[in-house]
Amino acid sequence: MNGGRTSRHFGRILVRAIITLLMVAVLNFFLFRVIPGDPASLLLGGARISVTAEQMKAQRQNWGLDRPLFPDQAVDYLSATLRGDFGYSFKFRGRRVADLIVERLPATIVLVSLAQFIAIVCGVMLGLYAGWRRGGAVDHIATGASLLLYSTPSFWVAMILIVIFSTALGWLPGYGAYSPGVSTRSLDQVLDYLRHLTLPVSAVALGLIGQYVVVARAAMSDVVTEDYMVTARAKGLTGGQMLMRHAFRNAMLPVVTLITLNLGYVVAGAITVEAVFAWPGIGGLTVEALNARDYPVLQGVFLLLGASIVLANLVADLAYGILDPRVRQ
Amino acid sequence: MSDAIVPYSPRGRARAIKGFLGQFLSYGGAQVGLVCLVFFLVVAAMPNILVGPLQTAINATGEFLEPPSSQHLLGTDEVGRDVLNLVVHGARISLTIALLATVISLVIGTTVGMTAGYFGGPVDVWLMRLTDFFFVVPSFVLALVITPVVLEVIGRGRDILGFRPSLFVIIVVIGLTSWAFVGRIVRSQTLSLKERTFIDRARVAGSSNLSIMVRHLLPNLVPQIAANGALVVTGAIYVETSLSFLGLGDPLQPSWGTLLSLAQRAGAASAGAWWYLGAPGLCVLTVSLSFVLIGNALEDTFDPRRRVIP
Repeated sequence: MNGGRTSRHFGRILVRAIITLLMVAVLNFFLFRVIPGDPASLLLGGARISVTAEQMKAQRQNWGLDRPLFPDQAVDYLSATLRGDFGYSFKFRGRRVADLIVERLPATIVLVSLAQFIAIVCGVMLGLYAGWRRGGAVDHIATGASLLLYSTPSFWVAMILIVIFSTALGWLPGYGAYSPGVSTRSLDQVLDYLRHLTLPVSAVALGLIGQYVVVARAAMSDVVTEDYMVTARAKGLTGGQMLMRHAFRNAMLPVVTLITLNLGYVVAGAITVEAVFAWPGIGGLTVEALNARDYPVLQGVFLLLGASIVLANLVADLAYGILDPRVRQ
Repeated sequence: MSDAIVPYSPRGRARAIKGFLGQFLSYGGAQVGLVCLVFFLVVAAMPNILVGPLQTAINATGEFLEPPSSQHLLGTDEVGRDVLNLVVHGARISLTIALLATVISLVIGTTVGMTAGYFGGPVDVWLMRLTDFFFVVPSFVLALVITPVVLEVIGRGRDILGFRPSLFVIIVVIGLTSWAFVGRIVRSQTLSLKERTFIDRARVAGSSNLSIMVRHLLPNLVPQIAANGALVVTGAIYVETSLSFLGLGDPLQPSWGTLLSLAQRAGAASAGAWWYLGAPGLCVLTVSLSFVLIGNALEDTFDPRRRVIP
């Protein structure tokens, strides 16, 4: 193994990730400054109330808006962002965007990671099996169902789930994360939370399962036709041995990358599902910010999504390099 | 495609097209997809003839959230508008947005990919950096922050090219943010095509770079562009529906996503008004599925390796 080449490979991946992240920041910087009426007037309550020229000037000076865009403001922006200072919300007056995001993040992480876990277990297993037994009954049903799920927006699945399980059957709540009036004693509250979590998690997971089945099936079908599988059969291995020793591990390679790459998309997709359930996560925050045109929050969310996507990509690239030595060349 | 020299003849081309169509139409998925698509295109072409003009709160013909009946086949919404009427008019908006956004994205993706692949060197490096960015950051996330800002800049006033400003912005933003995937595929295909002898021949014969790209490379890229174009449409429908659902659509020209957003705001799910949210959702599902099926069938037709395996 060539150490220099490997480190050069990882270095290149890292540089790319940093460039992408910088582009996210640059886009954020300019978008915020393109909005008509400069930020100072937006900060002064839409400037519909009478604001004197002096007040405006003081505000502009206060926020550093009287200085040139580049390099002064851009450098300020970058260094503030790096320090985790995303500015202040318009809607939640005076609250720091970073605080708002940190407050809402746990709910989204719980939702997304549970859904991701369920989707991986169900989707990948089903897809691998379908690819292994191509043309069988399981394959037909799984492929058909996953194409259907793949073409359905997950927020629509969420709405249908509410109609069926919440409105018609009354089994599960379809709104918020807690019922009002449930005792704050630990067990009741946890059970209540889980009941509220069920439908949102199912909606996000159903949206993902379709993709995972398709990719796992394709990966497995590619592996099945490889020469080493023929060799394995010629050596007299049984089907189960072939599956476990040769097919499974090779088929998992693209699947693992997809799952890692998908992380950012999952969070983005969860935004609409959270909106349906009024789930108190990043998605709910995004919708509130959109409706109130609360740009600082919107920009903060964009930066967060951008950073997590770039990070997921970095992990996927690194993982692929470790799992498959051929890539490093 | 083989490198053997095939003498060009119009009859040969006609036979090739016929063979392609025969192969393509032999897939069940392609048949289902095409039938659904033609149905929706017809509906989108003449909404006024089919269900009359778009209903508003003023000329609504029904009562509050009526379930489906012989008078309102798909029930009514919270202000008494006929859902069938809304969905049929929504078809026109949704399909127009998705198809126009796809055209923009295919033009950009093909141009960037072909230029990067053909010229190579620093042009390739820089264009691919740009592509990486759009490849990594999902179109939906970009559109989510860009659309409200652009709307704020141009205002919600007059129509642009016959579209309400927010729809026009959504079309352009989706088009500008969803081309990366096409760009990568076109580039890699260009890289292998430009080494082929017919490109050398064209260059020796004195063709300019532009004419080589347009007359010799582009026709050979059409299969890849078409197969991926179908998937780009699916993506565009998804992004448009999601953005409109989050309230970035235009209530005066409602797409299916806007209808779902209205249904959500009216509390249709908890009121059990399944017809109101079911109808637009099923339309989105059917149209996306049709494009996925058509895209898969095109890919199978163009790639003989995939045809061998059932």
